[in-house]
Amino acid sequence: MKGVLPMNSQIKKGILDLCVLALLEKGDSYGYDLAGNLARKVEVADGTVYPILRKLASEGVVSTYLQESQNGPPRKYYHLTEAGRNKLNAERDEWIKFCGEVNDILSKETGGKADE
Amino acid sequence: MNKTEYVTKLTNELGHMPYGDVKDIIQSIEEHFEEGLSEGRSEEEIAASLGDPKELAAEFKDGVKFKQIMKKRKMSDNFKGPDGRGRIFVIIFNAFVGIECWLILLFAIIAAFCCLAADLAFIGLIVAGLITGVLTEFLVPFIFLILTMICVAVFLVILLILGIKYYAKGLKSYIRWNKNVWNYGLGED
Repeated sequence: MKGVLPMNSQIKKGILDLCVLALLEKGDSYGYDLAGNLARKVEVADGTVYPILRKLASEGVVSTYLQESQNGPPRKYYHLTEAGRNKLNAERDEWIKFCGEVNDILSKETGGKADE
Repeated sequence: MNKTEYVTKLTNELGHMPYGDVKDIIQSIEEHFEEGLSEGRSEEEIAASLGDPKELAAEFKDGVKFKQIMKKRKMSDNFKGPDGRGRIFVIIFNAFVGIECWLILLFAIIAAFCCLAADLAFIGLIVAGLITGVLTEFLVPFIFLILTMICVAVFLVILLILGIKYYAKGLKSYIRWNKNVWNYGLGED
């Protein structure tokens, strides 16, 4: 088993939803492909993507459809809905802004200066 | 762990989820295995990279919890102050139906306890009679009787364990339901 960080980390959990939405922004995709793309960039287990996809589908931010594949059974594809696109744009801006603020506090050059 | 083992473990861990949801989840995991196999990976390799089935199941269950929280939030968004009808319903329902049902079930459990005690006492008496030599006639029928009584005792113990377990569970969710109606009214669903 490869080294996988525990998913209990609340920060990771919240932001992974957004990562999946961002992956879908590039085009419709299926579970295995998304799992690979996510796990390649973030240190999570391949399985993690499936509960997220289910949750996103139940919220209506992604929709699903079946499509024949060349080899094997039809694949379940996921598509970013209009609601999903809005959510992604809003939360992406929020996240980038938040990251900037946190980095300001955490960075060694400026961190702690406020206390002096 | 191979595919079958992984899927079985995941199914077991998903536990009380509705059948349709479990079927859907297992289908997507099986699809994941198929895709991996067609790339030439081994079942063991795919299972390992999917992560611990127990953790995965917990994440799926979290999703359900999330749905419930959203529903509750929606309910409290629509909340227009305590619903008098809901409270009257809780009081009347409990006075005429609710509490009686739970009491009857409680008496049934107590009755089963008494039966078990009587059964064990009876077995004890016959065994004592056999050992001390008071009972000398009809030995074979008595032994058969003891065996039957032991079966009854085992049955009652299992019944009691299950009964108490589900009584506690049921009572807990019944109280939660009452609280919900009390606080939010009967609602649409």
